[in-house]
Amino acid sequence: MNRFVKLVSLLLAAALLLSALPCTLAEEVIDADLNCTITLGNWPADTAPQAEKDLFLGYQATMAKQYPNVTLVPDYYSYTLSSYVPMAKGGTAPSIFQPPFTDPQLLISQHLVGDVTEALQNAGVLDKFSPSYVEMLAGDDGRIYGLPRDGYVLGLHINIDLFREAGLMTEEGLPMYPTTLQELAEYGQIIREKTGKAGLVFPASETYGGWLFTNIAWNFGCVGESALEYQDEDGRWVCNFTSPECIAAMEYMRDLRWKYDILNADATTSDWASSHTSLGTGEAAMNFGADDCVDQPTANKGLPVDSFALVPFPAGPAGRYALAGGTCYMFAPNITADQGTALMAYLKVLGKLPFLDDAIVAGMRADYAAKRDRGAPVLPAISAWNDEDYNAAKQAVIDEFCNVDMRLYNDFFDSISEGTITLKSEEPVFAQQLYRELTSVVQRMITREGADVEKALRKAEESFQEYLDDEINDY
Amino acid sequence: MSQTKVMRKLSGARFAENSKAWLIMLPSLILMLFFVWEPLFESVRMSLYKTRNVELVRYIGFDNYISVMGKDDFIQALLNTFSYTFWSLIIGFLLPVVLAMIIGETRRSKGIFRTIAYLPNMLPGLAVIILWSSFFSAEKSGVLNILLSTIGVSPQTYLTRAEWVIPIIIIIATWKGAGATALIYMASMAGVSPELYEAAAIDGATVLQRVWHILLPSIRKLMGTLLILQIISVFQIMYEPMVLTKGGPDNASLSLMQLMWQYAFGGSMNYGKASAVAVIVTGILLVMTLIHSYFDRKESSWD
Repeated sequence: MNRFVKLVSLLLAAALLLSALPCTLAEEVIDADLNCTITLGNWPADTAPQAEKDLFLGYQATMAKQYPNVTLVPDYYSYTLSSYVPMAKGGTAPSIFQPPFTDPQLLISQHLVGDVTEALQNAGVLDKFSPSYVEMLAGDDGRIYGLPRDGYVLGLHINIDLFREAGLMTEEGLPMYPTTLQELAEYGQIIREKTGKAGLVFPASETYGGWLFTNIAWNFGCVGESALEYQDEDGRWVCNFTSPECIAAMEYMRDLRWKYDILNADATTSDWASSHTSLGTGEAAMNFGADDCVDQPTANKGLPVDSFALVPFPAGPAGRYALAGGTCYMFAPNITADQGTALMAYLKVLGKLPFLDDAIVAGMRADYAAKRDRGAPVLPAISAWNDEDYNAAKQAVIDEFCNVDMRLYNDFFDSISEGTITLKSEEPVFAQQLYRELTSVVQRMITREGADVEKALRKAEESFQEYLDDEINDY
Repeated sequence: MSQTKVMRKLSGARFAENSKAWLIMLPSLILMLFFVWEPLFESVRMSLYKTRNVELVRYIGFDNYISVMGKDDFIQALLNTFSYTFWSLIIGFLLPVVLAMIIGETRRSKGIFRTIAYLPNMLPGLAVIILWSSFFSAEKSGVLNILLSTIGVSPQTYLTRAEWVIPIIIIIATWKGAGATALIYMASMAGVSPELYEAAAIDGATVLQRVWHILLPSIRKLMGTLLILQIISVFQIMYEPMVLTKGGPDNASLSLMQLMWQYAFGGSMNYGKASAVAVIVTGILLVMTLIHSYFDRKESSWD
């Protein structure tokens, strides 16, 4: 009898638990009526670290609970302009993908991305991202076609081991980093002499050389009336590569190679990835890099986090500017309203929208824990959102997982928060083409000792002006 | 039976016979139409339009051609492409013939040598480029610089020198492709009657004389065909400079096909101009092929 009572009690307890379970599940379901399929670009490949794959499987499981009728189709697609266009035209683009901030305006003007204004509005985040990002992601029609993933600011990556070898350390044991472009050249020369390694790795292939050169040119004064491109009174876009400021900046580039000899020997074949390799493997002491790619020389190329520092972009004779850019989320041109809603839900689960709940904070913690485990520096994030609560919560998580001596990064972040450096977004129109033209000039300067700076810049100016006329002015 | 009826019966029979042949060819023709001819004509059409990505916006005649040809980078790319062709003939045309002759003369382990010669061709193109980029790296860790350092030569730059970059790319392309071409020559050389060699040897001809008077005339036609194929292939060179040098330094290794890629996918998305470059390349190759066919026919008529 006693046994029977025990059994009945157990069964009743089990029944009680089982009856409570649907209630718990029901609470987790947010929208069971939402029924659609979304294809998710940038899904971690099979070769990605296990921690990263597990993280995304967790996101998938959460989505399955909250939106049981939304089907997630993982897609390893990583955006490039050349691959995206045929996919968008052929209707096979993933529902969500991640282009850099150089491309949204081009994609919007070519009608190759989907309008998510309504979805953003319904998700309640339209008014939460900073106005400068809205500007980058809106079309002439005022509609919104994307949302920011993260922002970055260009600075200088430092290999501390080479600075130490060159004797460029302070008494506190911190690297004596260059604060001006002139010091960059001089310190680079010392490093070359003392270590035999390149003072600065400068990727000057394809469009990279021009991309980095624009930041140097701004610091030489290529802003405002002397900007590299501007709109005249008639609204016509004008290219201006032959201003005295731009010529001085390009002469500086030439000196880095021929006067100071601080550049890596194969600059014209180096690209973004190989420049990080050079810094990470100790072939170069400095690299113009941003806060969003500190994992490249460290976790990816083996440089220990305590041998790495991120410092502000060196000032030039006309000021201190640093490029601010980032990566955004954009959407396939043919997404439906339901897909838009599902995609916002997915981004919310990812913690990419400025919302806070236990699951989102847990997601953030998992994200930063994975970063730390990979050996990447966990640093304060430059938020694209202006929601104070969200930013504070994120910072708290970052502080929890921080794995670096912040003295190696403080100057970089302070220069942004204190406004001692002016943040500037990329040149306004056809930036990639502008970079290509300037890369060509940079290559000429660092491969031909007696190259005529003004002549080369004039040629590039004519070519880019023709391009502007063709694509905008005479369209 | 009247003559008309006989003729009708004959043509009916011919039709029945031909229709089977056409049916056999039909799948290939359809595939050719959709995957070769249609894109080809579409490319010509696109080159005459102002485009917004792959959409045709408005007809502009030859404006794309005028714009493209008026630019310095086109002139540079055109000259570079001819330079690639020139260097490929200097470095890469006779090498497979010599290779085939040497392997052909080998008495033992001919199969092994054939495999070794063909091996680079089996490697993926991009892997070959990455392999050679380490060899020609300008850093101290570059393989060639390490080799040179053993004889006291300081590290040199290779791919950043405008005057060296095209010959280097051609050396790499030749390293990869020469073995395959040598196999074709070997197959042709195998058809030369051994009695001719023996007779020449008895008459006291040296090795060089035998090569000059027997071997080369035997493979002359094949050499002509492979010459035009090599020119056509090198004229379309793209991935080698694209991966190795990205067209640099200062466009010194930019090829026409790479320029076409840049117009389409290099940030400007100008498919109209990209098509114009493609049509120009096709036109140049067509002219070269016609010249070759003309001389080939003329030579055949002399024979």
